[in-house]
Amino acid sequence: MPATPAAIAEPVIQTRQVRKTFAAVGGHDRCVALAGVDLDVTQSEVVVIIGPSGSGKSTLLRTLNGLETVDSGTITVAGRKVTDQRTDLPALRADVGMVFQHFNLFLHKTALENVALPQRIVRGRSRSQAEEIAMSFLKRVGVDDRRDHYPSQLSGGQQQRVAIARALAMHPQVMLFDEATSALDPEMVGGILDLMRELASEGMTMAVVTHEMGFARDVADRVIFMDGGGIVEQGAPEELFDGARNARTRQFLSQIH
Amino acid sequence: MTFLEPVADWIVGVYNFRIVALYADEFARGITNTLLAAGASLALSLILGTLLAALRLSSNRLLSALAEIYIQVIRSTPLLLQIYIVYFALPLLVPATARWPELWIGILALTLHTAPYMAEIIRSGIQSVARGQIEGALAVGMTFRQRAQHIVLPQAFANIMPALLGQTAILVKDTSLLSLITVFDLVAAGMLLNSERIKPNEGFLSVAVIYFAIYLLLLLASRFVERKLAGPAWNKATA
Ligand SMILES: Nc1ncnc2c1ncn2[C@@H]1O[C@H](COP(=O)(O)OP(=O)(O)OP(=O)(O)O)[C@@H](O)[C@H]1O
Ligand SMILES: [Mg+2]
Repeated sequence: MPATPAAIAEPVIQTRQVRKTFAAVGGHDRCVALAGVDLDVTQSEVVVIIGPSGSGKSTLLRTLNGLETVDSGTITVAGRKVTDQRTDLPALRADVGMVFQHFNLFLHKTALENVALPQRIVRGRSRSQAEEIAMSFLKRVGVDDRRDHYPSQLSGGQQQRVAIARALAMHPQVMLFDEATSALDPEMVGGILDLMRELASEGMTMAVVTHEMGFARDVADRVIFMDGGGIVEQGAPEELFDGARNARTRQFLSQIH
Repeated sequence: MTFLEPVADWIVGVYNFRIVALYADEFARGITNTLLAAGASLALSLILGTLLAALRLSSNRLLSALAEIYIQVIRSTPLLLQIYIVYFALPLLVPATARWPELWIGILALTLHTAPYMAEIIRSGIQSVARGQIEGALAVGMTFRQRAQHIVLPQAFANIMPALLGQTAILVKDTSLLSLITVFDLVAAGMLLNSERIKPNEGFLSVAVIYFAIYLLLLLASRFVERKLAGPAWNKATA
């Protein structure tokens, strides 16, 4: 991915004082999901976000491509101001790959169609071109022999591979992973993490929410610890894992290990 | 072979297909009109029903309420009354319709009647599409239109094929009421035979068999459409 000096200087993701509150649901109180988050992710950087359940990790990722609106603050992603009303969100999302915990493959489409359809209707590629690109990505993630299978006919690991191929085939500028391995059988996890590792080494800009601390330690350029809707502490993996300064971070890490 | 003769005689006595054959032209006309009325009303009520379902689901309170009122008014009044209202009142309201053939009036009435039922089925179908499917479509950059066309509606319609088949079967049977506004449908063909020959079996059994055959074709068609919309594994995936 050839990066101009200007692209290196300007972060691919930039959030400033992002706040988000969810209205009260049922017996629960109003809930502050994001309490003023500042985040910068530069070109080719891999940022891993960790933190306890409910700390706002998913909400933060989802605000980055406008799946979730914010109450205040600004977000710029891939050169577009997400928080601006006038921004063409579909066009932005096409440039931002997102991989979900539960894959979210189109259940009425085969693996090949899942990867080809968005290219055709969003990118305007011809069917033959889209399918050719789809096949090359399916091959890359190792499921090209399953091209005509429907999601219900694929294992969780295979579905996640197709989902990653679907995102990559759009040629995104940044990839967001929200617990991409959490719904997988243990024996499938390694393969998906290897794929993500490969992407990182090829220079893909990535924001990764995960509970896989081994992955964070090996692959992350920076690890961010979130709690209570805010970034509590961040740094290089060895800094955070071996020398956390904040008591909450240390407590969280001691529970994980 | 001789023992078959009394059986054959008995069959011809109960159901004389030669008489039915004499009325082949009338039956052909009746089938044509029944299929025209049902086919046109089906297509139009699916379009109007999808529109009504969209209005019901829209966040605009007024539009949603208007659609709801229309649906409840139709569901609370007899179809026969609705047909008579369209047949007798519409030409007074819209003079141009006075020159319409009865079949058109019938199609209009059946469409207005069936669309609300289709709308409620389609609405449940749209709501049955998992949130994750929409998020997957959002995340790759699909617009509202693209999501509706490529993801939500195909899955919604595949999910509701059995219910749509049931409602369509009712629609096909409801076309028989159009004989009351002088549309020459299948039932009218059967009545003509019976009144001229006093042969109720030949008249009405034939009609019943034809209705059943139409239903079987619809059943096959619904399986075909489901497969087209959502692939061969759909019901296994969702069952
Ligand atoms: N749609 C919603 N409606 C109401 N509250 C929500 C909604 N989504 C998230 N929340 C709340 O916002 C807070 C942050 O949730 P979020 O899903 O971002 O946490 P998370 O860090 O991803 O947790 P987990 O590790 O369990 O996935 C939680 O308290 C959650 O209950
Ligand atoms: Mg989460």
